[in-house]
Amino acid sequence: MVRDMTEDPFESVVAAHHAEIHRYLVRATSRPGDADDLSQETFVRAYKAYRSLPPDANVRAWLFAIATNLSRNHFRGEKRRRQAMAAAAAGASERGSSWPEGEAIASQTSARIDRIVAALPLKQRLAFTMRKVHELDYDAIGESLECSGESARAHVFQALRKIRRGLDDLDIVHTERQP
Amino acid sequence: MNPENPTCRDIEPDLVAVAAGEAGASAARGVERHVGVCRGCRDELERYRVLEGMVADLRRAPVAGADPTLSRAELESRLADIRSRMISYGIFSSPLGKILIARSELGVSLVRYLESDAAGKSYLARLAGGEVVEDKAAVQATYRELLDYLNARGTRLSWPLDLRWAGSDFQRRVLAATAELPYGAVTSYAGIARRIGAPASVRAVAQALRRNPIPIAIPCHRVIGSSGDLTGYAGSKIGLKERLLSLEGVPVGLRAHRIERGHMYVLFDGYTEYCLPTCGTLSQEPMSQLTLFGSRRHAEAVGLTACSSCRPDLHPLSA
Repeated sequence: MVRDMTEDPFESVVAAHHAEIHRYLVRATSRPGDADDLSQETFVRAYKAYRSLPPDANVRAWLFAIATNLSRNHFRGEKRRRQAMAAAAAGASERGSSWPEGEAIASQTSARIDRIVAALPLKQRLAFTMRKVHELDYDAIGESLECSGESARAHVFQALRKIRRGLDDLDIVHTERQP
Repeated sequence: MNPENPTCRDIEPDLVAVAAGEAGASAARGVERHVGVCRGCRDELERYRVLEGMVADLRRAPVAGADPTLSRAELESRLADIRSRMISYGIFSSPLGKILIARSELGVSLVRYLESDAAGKSYLARLAGGEVVEDKAAVQATYRELLDYLNARGTRLSWPLDLRWAGSDFQRRVLAATAELPYGAVTSYAGIARRIGAPASVRAVAQALRRNPIPIAIPCHRVIGSSGDLTGYAGSKIGLKERLLSLEGVPVGLRAHRIERGHMYVLFDGYTEYCLPTCGTLSQEPMSQLTLFGSRRHAEAVGLTACSSCRPDLHPLSA
């Protein structure tokens, strides 16, 4: 008999990865509406190419690469990017105030980090999010960004450096002052 | 850390790597040595460690507006739509040469004899609105069944068919009537026209069969001219028509490309008995009323019995 094509193995790919890719794209684009669109587009593209994917491929890393590629295309227009940053700043501060009392300080710091991340150059922002939020390895990040694993590591370093400088006034660690 | 000091500047990437737990052994030793003597960098390392902890919180923290539920639901419906238009195809070799087979989730949608792989592209392009992907595995089973059929190991291709790309309702009716023709039998274009209730549309029937999207499974090779001429097949591939008919035990005059009524068992439409071609006035009946069988076996395979007056069972036609 002919293979039953209604039992689509891609359904399990959607079930396993859609929520995470969506979360990644919320950070990548700073706009939930864009994340809705781009996450759908990611999986539509993946669906069409899924059959030609080698059986031993890392599906998760491959999905991140598609999502990353779509994000970069999405931001090709500088105007859009500026709008997105403004929206990110607004969104991040909104969230800070809506968090439960006990987590207020942590959330304020998280919101600050989110704001700094949203203002990072795109490659640094994507590399940072893939590494630090989604814990992909540098080679996978490099493939997503079409650069080497070493360059991916450098992007993450630059991002961390800027975040670290951005939090300077918070005095995030209490050190003994030198006399 | 002293930004003016080149050593401090150079060690910063390693400092960050150590804080993240990613540093190699030699980088870690270098950092250890440096922070042993540089108070600023020792503090800086500590700050990066704290920062790693904060960043780790991002993993757990909810993201504003990150509810994927709606997007997921929309995605599912888009995928369902694409799936319904998805057509998988493969190009295979067969006893009849290179052959393209394409199918959707509904059934087989295209079978084509190919002169070249490039020719396949132009056929696929006609599946307008379809999402065409090469996927031999998805059509492998269909191909196997076709091979069995072409090697005379089967007499039925019971494929579900997807006729969404057939040109018109008229064409679909022609194809449906043709699909009813049994293995080893032939009828005429006029016969098909009569069966679909359009007896005057003989030419249109021939045109519709010329554009048959699924030859072999929809056996247009079993439809011939009223004179017994094979007329045409798949453009100029009349040789394939002969081979398919011969495979089914229909005697074909190879030089003349025709079938002699006198060499075939005859079924008058509506009857349940098959006859010798000389039975009664059968030889004067128009082809459009008849179905011809190359062998008794195939006539009986569809439930027909030997005519009780001409007794084809007692006086079989010589092969």
